[in-house]
Amino acid sequence: MSTQVSGGEVTDLSLPRRKRDAFLAHRGIWMALLLVGALAAAASYVDSYLAYVATSWVIFGLLGLSLDLIWGRAGVLSLGQTAFFGIGGYLGSVAAINLAPLTGNTLIWSGPVGSLAGACIAGLVGWLIFFGRMAALQATILTYTVTLIIWTSAVSFHATVGVAVIGGDNGLAEIPPFVVGFGNAAAPLSPNGMLACTILIAGGAYLLSASLMRSPFGLLVDCVRLNAEKTELLGYDTRKIQFWLFVLAGGIAGLAGALFGHWANYLTPSVFSVQECLLVPIYVLVGGRGTLAGPFVGALLVGGLSFWLGGGVIGGQTTLVMGLGLMVLVLFVDGGVIGAATSLVAKGNRLRAVGTETEGEHRHSPVTALKSIARQGSDGSLEARAIVRRFGGITPVNGVSLTFQPGRVYCLIGPNGAGKSTFLRCCMGSHSLSEGEIMLAGKRATTWKTFERARAGLGVKMQTPQIFDELSVAQNLWVAAYQAEHDRRAADRKVAAVLTTIGLAARTKLRAGELSHGQQQWLDIGMVLCMSPAVIMLDEPAAGMTAVERGVLASMIRELASSAAVIVVEHDMDFVRSLDAETIVLHQGELFARGSIEELRRNEAVLDVYLGRRRHVRTA
Amino acid sequence: MQVDLVGITLISAVASASVLLIATLGLAVVFGLMGVINLAHGEFIMLGAYAALLSTRAGLPFWAAIVVAVILTAAFGAVVEVLLIRRLYSRILDTMLATWGVSLVLYQAAVVVFGAVTPGLGFSFPSVNIGAYGISAYLLALIAVAALLTAALYFLLTRTSYGVLARAAVQDPQMSAAIGIDAARINTATFALGCGLAGFAGAVLLPVVPATPGMGFAFVVKAFLGVVIAGPLALSGTVMATGLLGALANITASVWSAVFGDLLFFGATIALLWLFPQGISQRWRLKL
Repeated sequence: MSTQVSGGEVTDLSLPRRKRDAFLAHRGIWMALLLVGALAAAASYVDSYLAYVATSWVIFGLLGLSLDLIWGRAGVLSLGQTAFFGIGGYLGSVAAINLAPLTGNTLIWSGPVGSLAGACIAGLVGWLIFFGRMAALQATILTYTVTLIIWTSAVSFHATVGVAVIGGDNGLAEIPPFVVGFGNAAAPLSPNGMLACTILIAGGAYLLSASLMRSPFGLLVDCVRLNAEKTELLGYDTRKIQFWLFVLAGGIAGLAGALFGHWANYLTPSVFSVQECLLVPIYVLVGGRGTLAGPFVGALLVGGLSFWLGGGVIGGQTTLVMGLGLMVLVLFVDGGVIGAATSLVAKGNRLRAVGTETEGEHRHSPVTALKSIARQGSDGSLEARAIVRRFGGITPVNGVSLTFQPGRVYCLIGPNGAGKSTFLRCCMGSHSLSEGEIMLAGKRATTWKTFERARAGLGVKMQTPQIFDELSVAQNLWVAAYQAEHDRRAADRKVAAVLTTIGLAARTKLRAGELSHGQQQWLDIGMVLCMSPAVIMLDEPAAGMTAVERGVLASMIRELASSAAVIVVEHDMDFVRSLDAETIVLHQGELFARGSIEELRRNEAVLDVYLGRRRHVRTA
Repeated sequence: MQVDLVGITLISAVASASVLLIATLGLAVVFGLMGVINLAHGEFIMLGAYAALLSTRAGLPFWAAIVVAVILTAAFGAVVEVLLIRRLYSRILDTMLATWGVSLVLYQAAVVVFGAVTPGLGFSFPSVNIGAYGISAYLLALIAVAALLTAALYFLLTRTSYGVLARAAVQDPQMSAAIGIDAARINTATFALGCGLAGFAGAVLLPVVPATPGMGFAFVVKAFLGVVIAGPLALSGTVMATGLLGALANITASVWSAVFGDLLFFGATIALLWLFPQGISQRWRLKL
């Protein structure tokens, strides 16, 4: 069984996250490196006019890569990439015009300035989107509006910076060409050299992005796309993850803009136009969303199409072809060119994986193994002080005061609508409080964000299992463990320990979405364990489990309670009894009764509440 | 500042907001009742304008030309819904891109068929004087048209069985299916209604906005922003959003310059998105 968590390297755990990614993921970065080198070498053998035109395709592919990072991986469709592209182009070119005479080389000025400018503008926009917690549609609209603002103002924007003159509608002229040599004698590159140089730069940006997406950061980006709430519950600041990815994408777009300036030798506000900004999603869709390499394929195909049909990309009959193509792509081609090319391969791989993975035995290791993953030396207490939560005219939680300490299991029970789940949501921070205080580990946590509470030791399993469908079982657990450990090896060890505890050691490489409901429950519980929480909240953990599994779960919960405060919400009274818990009854948002389950069973008032027979008792 | 200058500025601001509202309502209905952003909305406006233009040149009276435009665009909208939109339910960003494809095709088709420039309507409207300033009587009439159109839509969506079913279908699709509402047919009707409204806008605005293949684009950007700012209440939210933004932009444009008017429009959009991420009508307690 030890082979399941083989080696314990992140690269082992980060299996192909999207099936289209499988194409490059297995062959690795070296293949891509080789390909970039070969393409750059081949660039000297093509016709020089074709080389000139093809350079722009590579530049647009780079622009598409910037969108694919943020749209394909983070799930945010940004229509602002051309704005970052244009700003990067303008500022990079201004820098090159003024500073190139110092060195001869133009790229060392425009490249850094362009990407920095793109990154800064993207940072501003990204801050508004992600720290304002905007939904997907609003984010798209905001980026679109930013593009419109920049387009509108660029048309009448006049400025002179050193020797560079930005002339509104007339744009910025006399941008120096590609010069990579140094000194006064350095000559501009030939079209073929320009193509080779652009391929190398774009290839570098691609390799950087691809390896970043294979790092823990990339795994987290996928997690946020798949289930942002769960990612935050594991203690990650999802806003920051998306923000930094957006900044990176802006930087890549800015770099592409700077290259475009050198290629075209002049820039006009039309780079910001709405037509241009809607072209970028097309490159991504044609090539394959979420593949990173796809946008280059897409830009090549779209560019090639208009090259051989004649005319610009917009203009001529190309518009008609593009419009029809866009409809066909959205309707029929899921995954673009790369997706279609690799789906067969990926399908074969997955079938093989399922075949070998389901044979292993489904067995839980002794719960004493939990001792090794307990959180050391932290105060596991949670206290709710007279908390109130109102929604309009409804008050689902009305003045509840409860204290939870390690050493005891607490069960929250109550009929439907008693306020159990709202109480949980108030404790974990996804609902703010109308009144009252939440104390976590002795500190006032009322205003803490969900991820801050998770970092302080609060581990929550929600009612429906929250897992990352497209990730493997091992990756799901690893993400949870990594936040607590901040160390790859330590996280790997923890995953190995938890896998046997939750009985999924034979299914490490299976996609989590393919697990049964009961197994998904175990996986979610396992993720909570991986966090080494000091306070554990489990909402209906036993739903969908067999009788044997319930027994294992009950002893696991009792074991956990020796070092952490454990709060279980449950409807199954036999399961509650097996926990030997302090039981708390909520009714109509208020604390109704508490005691052992035996005491409550003899309490007529509690039975009335559960059976809804209060009126009957009163009249009797 | 003279009274008549203030008066004409305000009236032209309201008129400009009314024009924007007329052009936006179709988009708002489709977004509010189907959750679909129709990026081809502007091209449907353009289709309506051409339909009305050709009808009047063929000898029909202007009111009849408007009817022809509405019927034609609504029918075409129904076709687009059945062939395209229906296959992309609940994939809002994909729908946006697909309708953008429709918009490209319609635009290019118009360029091919009608050419880039087209003759005007051939008749003019008298102007009304307010103090020392004049304003087109037709523009004033458009304020009334916008008000009547809003009232008619409100009636259609709250008092008729179609309206109630359509609103039920968007609020709880599964429940409405369970009680036997044919959501697909309702949606086809809603999309046709939205496109018909676009056609109406193109036709009724023809005297102030001449028909060109690219005319829709000028409207759709602002209409699109207005609808998203409006939020969940398709009618009251849209009236408020387009009224506010349209009037603001118009006043800025007449006091300062058109570019500043546009910049203010876009800037206000960002500010409103920041303040109300779900739209301004998120917490209003109205039906529509």
